Amino acid sequence: MLITKEEKTFRIITYVLLIFGVVITLLPFLYMISVSFKSQIYTFEYPPRLIPRNPTLENYINALSKDLFGRNFLNSLFVATATTISTVFISALMAYAFSRMQFPGKEVLFYILLLGMMIPPVMLIIPQFIIAKYLHLLNSLWGLIVVYVAVTLSMQTFLLRSFFETIPRELEEAVLVDGGSNWVIFTKVILPLSKPGLSVVAIFTFLYAWDEFPWAHVAIRESSRRTLPVAIALFQNQYLTQWGLVFAATTVASIPVIIVFIIFQRYFIQGFVTTGLRR
Amino acid sequence: MKEKLLIWIAVLIVSVFMGTIFWLSGCAPSAEETAFETSAVQETEAETAEAKESVVEKVAITYWHTMSDAEEVALKKVIEMFEEQYPNIKIEPTRVAYDDFKPALLTGIAGEVVPDTARLDIIWVPEFAEMGALVALDKEMEGFDEIIANTYPGPTSTNFWKGHYYGLPQDTNTQVLVWNKQMFKEAGLSEPPQTIDEFVEYATLLSNPDEEVYGYTMGGTYFWAPAPIFYAMGGEITDPEITTATGYINGEKSVAAYQLLVDMYKDGSLSPYVLGGGGVGAFEGLATSKYAMIIEDPWAYPILKSDYPEFEVNFTLVPKGPDGTTSSVVGGQNVVIFEGSQHKDEAIEWAKFLLSEEAQLTIGETGAIPTLTTVQGNERLPEYYDVFMEQLKTAKARLPHPKWSEIDNVLNNAFQYMLRGEKTVQQALDDAAEEINKLIVEG
Amino acid sequence: MKVGNEILNKSFFKKILKSKGAYFLLLPGMGLFLTFILFPLIYSLRMSFYKWNIVNPGSSEFVGFSNYVKVINDPIFIRAAFNTIVYALMTVPGQILFALMVAILLEQKIRGRTFFRVAFYITVITSWVIVTLVFEYLFSGQAGLVNFVLKDVLHLVNEKIMWLANPILVMIPLNLLGIWKGVGWSAIIFLAALQNIPPELYEAAIIDGAGIWQKITKITLPLIRPTLVFLVVVLTIGAFNVYISGLLMTDGGNPLDLSHFILTLMYKKTFTYLDFGYGSATSYLLAAFIFMISVIQIKLLRRRVEY
Repeated sequence: MLITKEEKTFRIITYVLLIFGVVITLLPFLYMISVSFKSQIYTFEYPPRLIPRNPTLENYINALSKDLFGRNFLNSLFVATATTISTVFISALMAYAFSRMQFPGKEVLFYILLLGMMIPPVMLIIPQFIIAKYLHLLNSLWGLIVVYVAVTLSMQTFLLRSFFETIPRELEEAVLVDGGSNWVIFTKVILPLSKPGLSVVAIFTFLYAWDEFPWAHVAIRESSRRTLPVAIALFQNQYLTQWGLVFAATTVASIPVIIVFIIFQRYFIQGFVTTGLRR
Repeated sequence: MKEKLLIWIAVLIVSVFMGTIFWLSGCAPSAEETAFETSAVQETEAETAEAKESVVEKVAITYWHTMSDAEEVALKKVIEMFEEQYPNIKIEPTRVAYDDFKPALLTGIAGEVVPDTARLDIIWVPEFAEMGALVALDKEMEGFDEIIANTYPGPTSTNFWKGHYYGLPQDTNTQVLVWNKQMFKEAGLSEPPQTIDEFVEYATLLSNPDEEVYGYTMGGTYFWAPAPIFYAMGGEITDPEITTATGYINGEKSVAAYQLLVDMYKDGSLSPYVLGGGGVGAFEGLATSKYAMIIEDPWAYPILKSDYPEFEVNFTLVPKGPDGTTSSVVGGQNVVIFEGSQHKDEAIEWAKFLLSEEAQLTIGETGAIPTLTTVQGNERLPEYYDVFMEQLKTAKARLPHPKWSEIDNVLNNAFQYMLRGEKTVQQALDDAAEEINKLIVEG
Repeated sequence: MKVGNEILNKSFFKKILKSKGAYFLLLPGMGLFLTFILFPLIYSLRMSFYKWNIVNPGSSEFVGFSNYVKVINDPIFIRAAFNTIVYALMTVPGQILFALMVAILLEQKIRGRTFFRVAFYITVITSWVIVTLVFEYLFSGQAGLVNFVLKDVLHLVNEKIMWLANPILVMIPLNLLGIWKGVGWSAIIFLAALQNIPPELYEAAIIDGAGIWQKITKITLPLIRPTLVFLVVVLTIGAFNVYISGLLMTDGGNPLDLSHFILTLMYKKTFTYLDFGYGSATSYLLAAFIFMISVIQIKLLRRRVEY
């Protein structure tokens, strides 16, 4: 590795900038954690304090001991995991078709798919509700999953297609010369080289399904089948919001999302090294 | 060929997907088809749940509400009492967050999946009634007149729309003056203001804008905030029949009421953060001697008690206006029955039960003021209710009209124009009258 | 290759048969998409031409384009559209610029890389509700940190500024929040895209004596252009759909309905005022506008990829 002087200064600047950036990005999050350890009276004190005086676990105990918190948590986990797996799978198939195959109607279909990203999801809720009712998907976690996959599909397909397009075509030509089919290209070239892209899809789909509120709110009526965001919204009430509780529950709720991220960000590495194609 | 494999996998996914849907749908498609066209066929989750367990003869009545934790505990007790008395009925309560309540109900109505009963904010009842979503209780409920004979007229009036009553007042509230005794003492005052003139005088005396100390503050400019002063000054939004706002909202008394607040704002005795913009919260400011007076609803008591245990909470009636009468604004919620309910008779029993003395007292103990005059002063109710119940005798309901949300917005904007000095009070209210007239005619 | 008649003869149908593999790949996704997105889309499009009766849709009154006319002539909508366009113009470039910077920094061989990555991802997962609250708190008139710094520390202003009560000033925290919240998201995508750039290219460039700036503009940017296209399009869509932060910070358009975004207005009209026609007409105007912009963006940016 050649290390020039410029590279060295660049590295120092890198650290400085990163640390600066991290401070800015982390402050609100730390603030949330800090409030979650404060009792109601200190929630919005002035001047604000990051380190709570008289820190208390009371919010966590109250939030976690709500009858259904555990149940709601598991519901969310199930919905988010199932949504993620289905979306990664389905959108990879679609993205491959859109990026590597020729077929009539390709452009039109692609733009129709994009249309799905553009209409505000809130506007679709009433008709979605009616469809879900006739498919008997109301009040069921499956009803959440199919709608989540449908909603997030456009964007994830678009995203994956853009990743597939950055993969040099020479590799495929080599496969074709060797008599390989589309399937070989897909599984042996595109998928392994797209690990970073697939990871991004997994990370963001999980986050979306984990956080989604409006649909989960109207589609699920029974409290034992509710997901976490809906349960947390109930900590607010018309006259008084217990912010400490909300923040504590949100802090707990963010743990799985962080874990998913840590797992998948490991695949943000040079695809070329892992495929062994260079050997 | 590998491509074949790919195709098979795709087929597999589709069939699994379709299979899942059919498995979930469970029953024959013919049932769905019939349901599609007829709006009369209703389905509630209660039913679905019931169908699975089958054979149980109990009728399930769903009840949606926006209660707090404490109220929910009391509700559980009330349900137990009810089910004991009516062994054939099962109540299934669902708690929904207040801000999301209306969207949830509307989606449900559109999809014909509504609860049997719900506790609605009083301002929503005319809206849902106009839509045709609610049962007219004075037609369907036996003994309706006897029940409302024992309720406060203010809260009950909020159920009335186009000649019928569409709900029963389940709980009520109103706003009264809360004052900081310590600050009054330091300013040499011993008593809270009795009249509006005293109110203005004291507020000026208690203010020190340079130190950001204000005699009076409000939660914002939406109508609920200035309403107590507005009604105490004799203000009116429209005529009693709700046919015109001209001469009412821009009438002499209404203008005087808003003028009073604008003047207080200008001389610094009303906090400038009434505009919005993030001032110290009303409760926090009151307890930490930043604000000397606020006008608030009964929830002030438990909130102040839990957050500022040291603070001495003092309530008094809203100061009397020039006519020598006090007044305030009515809040609260009504219990309603939805047209989509398949068990209206049972739903009616439940609604009636919520208006029984026992139910009212049980929920009343936790902070929601009962609507029955017969329980006023009951020893089971907290002492601080007395002043609120006294205030309720003269408190007025906001316009019970389906367009209220929009009218509220018009009034909110009018108040903002005045405070910002972009329009005079008269001008702002003249314009508001015109806009409100348009809304009333449309509605 | 045969041309002309041959193609016409073999025709569309044959092509379709030949490409059935592609359709099978699309089938599961498209099935879901048609059921849960396209059908609802058409359903609510229908709503926009009616004075919609929610209890009994059959009796809704057909009003043609009058909902659209109403929306376009509504000064509140015009103001909301203006606010939203400004928001998009500020936040999209802002996010992309900072995100690219962060991604390139995170790509370096540094210690604690996972920590830094997680830290930047945190902005993505912190809920909108909570970050909006925090920003509101920072910019609050009486007790906010920003006013404290401006007035008491730097002495730049004499009076506390009422950021949130002023329809123009309130856009500052909203736009900052939009950028702040979005950087992590785009950075992750950039970061993943950077992985597809063969390291040999950089090594070759270093041998040729290229500096860091040149490496970024000559290698990185052209090679990740598809990702860039994706981000520009998606962030623009996202910016036009800004909602929660606006709703909370301006309490639904306060003051004077001047601080609405398109969606906060749409939501208020639909679910508070129950004007479903207005709400869906607004949504379709918005969707049509974004669709146009996206197509232009894709065509413009894509073309340059090919050279």
